[in-house]
Amino acid sequence: MHDLARKRAEEEAVAELVTQFAGTLYRVAYSVLRNAADAEDAVQEAFVRVLRHRDTLHEVRDQRVWLIRIVWNVVLDRKRRMKTRPETDDVAELARILPASGLSAEDRAAAAQHHAHVLACVEQLPAKERQVLMLSAFEELSSAEIAVVLGTTESSVRSRLFRARNLMAGLLNHPRSLR
Amino acid sequence: MKTGNRDQESGIRTSGSGEFEETLRLIARLSAPEGLEERVQAGLRKAKSANHSSARILAWPEGLGLSHARLQNLGRMAAAAAIVAVVLGGSWRISSRFQPAQPASAIVLPPHNAAQGSFSSAGAMRTPQTLNGPIVSVTTAAHPAASTPKPAAKKPLRHGKYRTVKYPGASVAH
Repeated sequence: MHDLARKRAEEEAVAELVTQFAGTLYRVAYSVLRNAADAEDAVQEAFVRVLRHRDTLHEVRDQRVWLIRIVWNVVLDRKRRMKTRPETDDVAELARILPASGLSAEDRAAAAQHHAHVLACVEQLPAKERQVLMLSAFEELSSAEIAVVLGTTESSVRSRLFRARNLMAGLLNHPRSLR
Repeated sequence: MKTGNRDQESGIRTSGSGEFEETLRLIARLSAPEGLEERVQAGLRKAKSANHSSARILAWPEGLGLSHARLQNLGRMAAAAAIVAVVLGGSWRISSRFQPAQPASAIVLPPHNAAQGSFSSAGAMRTPQTLNGPIVSVTTAAHPAASTPKPAAKKPLRHGKYRTVKYPGASVAH
């Protein structure tokens, strides 16, 4: 009976995590996969992994960072398995998600084009720099937390971010400089 | 463009961040689709039930009121007993099929008909009967001296028949 109660409590804790962090995990997944359905699948998979290890939930210090780390690994696995998405898909997806207020159709198309170009340049960065740059865009993540997600040190995160910004500046001025 | 200055203690967003970061921030601020939590919860329920149905094959009914550790011990003991039963049953089946041959109470030997005074056949069978040879009658001589043969005259050795061979290097060696 005690086991049943404990099991029920763990399941309730997982359900609470879903309510609290599903949105954050979705955004993290979307930033890498850039496809709504794929991102949702990744969130689902991450929570299934959590459910499998629910008996260790009480050992986790920062559940938010822990969950982001799980979904980050899920997303990287998926990205590795996926074929490269064509740039036109990115433009269409970005046009869909851009805020519609105050923009004409032409402006929206131009903005989508610009964002797609930026994302194409981000894709050209070395993996470590790209990952830090992507995670740094999340306002809820500090550099220490990014370090935990990536399994590295905070100073390493800072230096990678510095390099990423320099490389991006170069890429946006000379688009093929890294190839 | 906006260059944020959040997280001052970490210094991750410094002034002068590139315009490109606006794109990344745009994605990072994206709102989650409607009903995401419900869909994830439903997916978890499905995963849970799938786990239960797959585990039920070996699981004990929970109504028995046995603790998890006791159930595990019971399961291990049952599995061990089953293995022992299978091994014993198999060995009994084998031994019941192959009975060892009973030792004979008396050994029957073939008849031994070796000829009197000859070597024994050492148990060999189908020994061919050997024929008796002709008996030679011994005649007694009238003059024993005449009957004794004369010793053969010695032939003189013929010298010169065999030539001695001289090796050309023999004298040099000595």
